[in-house]
Amino acid sequence: MTTSTAPLPRRFPLSPRAGGWVGFLGLALLVGLTAAILVFARGLILTNLSNGVPWGLWITIDLSAIALGAGAFTLSAVVYLFGLKRFQPIVRLAVFVGFIGYTTALLTLVMDIGRPDRFWHPWVYWNIHSVLWEITWCITIYLAILMVEFLPVIAELKFFDRFPKLHHWANRLHGAAPVLAVLGLLISLLHQSSLGATYGILRSRPIWFKPSMPIMFIISAVAVGPAVTMGVAHVVEWIRRKPTVPHDILRTIARTSGLGLLLYAYIKFWDLAAVTYYGRTPGSDQAFSILRDFTPYGFGFWVGEIVIGILLPVLFFLMPRFNRRPAYLVLGAFLAMVGVVFNRWNVTVSGLVVPLDYAPGVDLSAVLAKPYVPNLTEWAIALGVLGYALMLLTLGVRYLPLFRTSEDGKH
Amino acid sequence: MSEQTPGKKRKQKVRLELTRRDFLTLAATAAGSAVAAQALTTGPLSPFSSLKQSQLAGEDIGGHAAARHQWGMVINLDTCIGCEYCQRACSATNDVAPEAPWNIVQEAESAAGRRYFFSRPCLHCQHAPCVEVCPVQATYVREDGVVIMDDDRCIGCRYCMVACPYDARRFNWGERQDVNEFVPTWGIAEVERRPRGVVEKCTFCVHRIDSGLANGLVPGVDPEATPACVNICPVDARVFGDLKDPESRVAKLIEDSATFRLREELGTRPSVYYIPPKEGV
Repeated sequence: MTTSTAPLPRRFPLSPRAGGWVGFLGLALLVGLTAAILVFARGLILTNLSNGVPWGLWITIDLSAIALGAGAFTLSAVVYLFGLKRFQPIVRLAVFVGFIGYTTALLTLVMDIGRPDRFWHPWVYWNIHSVLWEITWCITIYLAILMVEFLPVIAELKFFDRFPKLHHWANRLHGAAPVLAVLGLLISLLHQSSLGATYGILRSRPIWFKPSMPIMFIISAVAVGPAVTMGVAHVVEWIRRKPTVPHDILRTIARTSGLGLLLYAYIKFWDLAAVTYYGRTPGSDQAFSILRDFTPYGFGFWVGEIVIGILLPVLFFLMPRFNRRPAYLVLGAFLAMVGVVFNRWNVTVSGLVVPLDYAPGVDLSAVLAKPYVPNLTEWAIALGVLGYALMLLTLGVRYLPLFRTSEDGKH
Repeated sequence: MSEQTPGKKRKQKVRLELTRRDFLTLAATAAGSAVAAQALTTGPLSPFSSLKQSQLAGEDIGGHAAARHQWGMVINLDTCIGCEYCQRACSATNDVAPEAPWNIVQEAESAAGRRYFFSRPCLHCQHAPCVEVCPVQATYVREDGVVIMDDDRCIGCRYCMVACPYDARRFNWGERQDVNEFVPTWGIAEVERRPRGVVEKCTFCVHRIDSGLANGLVPGVDPEATPACVNICPVDARVFGDLKDPESRVAKLIEDSATFRLREELGTRPSVYYIPPKEGV
């Protein structure tokens, strides 16, 4: 590996800091695994989900992980489709982060469905009218694309030097990168927005049923996904004390993300105005007043989504006094990430806790009490998948040639 | 777009050069799009033609014009006394968990302040949101209008529960160990318990309809072929039958009285009709 010019004495002895990190990862994985075994054994009855609020924390993780993995298709498209070769050095990391995001989502999804043994049913039994069916297919195909995109990186491992044929095939695959980028772009645009449509098409839920839902999902994913990759590059650089990706590239990504977030804020503004101010229907009016009076979702929206998720990252990404300093870029990426998680949570749970108003005359306050707070099992699984994501990242940074493109060095 | 309008004079002339090749390309594109549009909206490729052409057209009560029956129910809110017998008989017959009943009965108040009881089974929508969203077609509208679940196919994603406008679906969160408190007082279990991890719902007692028809009985007339909730009702507030048969009681009730369906504006086209409570003292 060209990056490890400094002689590494031994591979395995760990510094106290690294030891602590490995300990944390191990603990998180252990907790998650224990909870997973319990859930597989006894079922979803161990969660706080109910017939009234059948989706919760885990769906939030699915949606967030997929959105945060959007850097992969965005940056691949930028390099291989729009020809901005300058960004080549970050593509590998972006694809890797995307791979982590998508596999994290799939792991959580397998926990969340009632019959994990039937995970393959959407591939065999088609319902072409279902957005969820389309999303399942897109995610499957896109994960395959990510793996093919990433194979050349794995083939570069020293271990595979003993199979020279492999290098040959890996290079061939790399040649297919533009095709993969086009495919990845199309499929990602489709499913990233369909995740919003999952909610947006449900005409029985007045605060979900709007055409802006898929648009806000995809814009937030495209804005924040690359920023996450950028933040990861900086953090890895701090930890390894070796350069990863040129800083001017990272700064450009941050500024583009800032602009993306502004666009997101703009659409969110009109969405909010259209739904709450101009287009007040009895249904949405009632839903919002219930949310306002009985839940913290208004606070979550303004503080979590707007201030933390949009305002602060935009300042950090766009103002030169901040975006010259990596610390602010990392903080901005982190806050934007938190904002996306807040948004996916708010969208999911706020839509569900409002009781359905289908029977004239039935007093809703009688059935109003369906609050949802995730319980320990759900948090344990969440910690487990977080541990999985961070473990994969750590292993990748440690053992994979993520910060070298095949253009430099070889041949 | 490049032609100059006489009112607006521009200094720079923009000339539109159209070669024969360009023209042919454009013409072919236009023709191709028109054909594609036609095929996708009404033709055999249309996503609307396969599953619910007749539903979208909305010309008759039934979703399937060719089907012989269209099962439906009329619930008279004016006579319902809120005894919850329907809920208990249903829970016994279909072995439903007591904490998650398929049939619900709720107190309600009319606009004029009259107290009445509202009850609902699954409404068996002919344009059902749950059917539309299921990623594996584990739930579907039968030819006779009954919306049922395929327990062997359901993956337990619960999207149908999120999509249902009427809160008519229940999930099996765990393996059931309970002894059904309604058996045998309110009936005996006629169907298997659903396994852990799948969604379940009211079936209009489809097992009774099917076996009844096979034995020459008439659902809605012969109790053996009629949903348990209908048979047990002490005040005849629930009536079941074939909406396609003009001589059936349901068809006559719908014909003769003012009825409404729940959230008709959603376009779900439920098979359950309600007779509103009468106002006045």
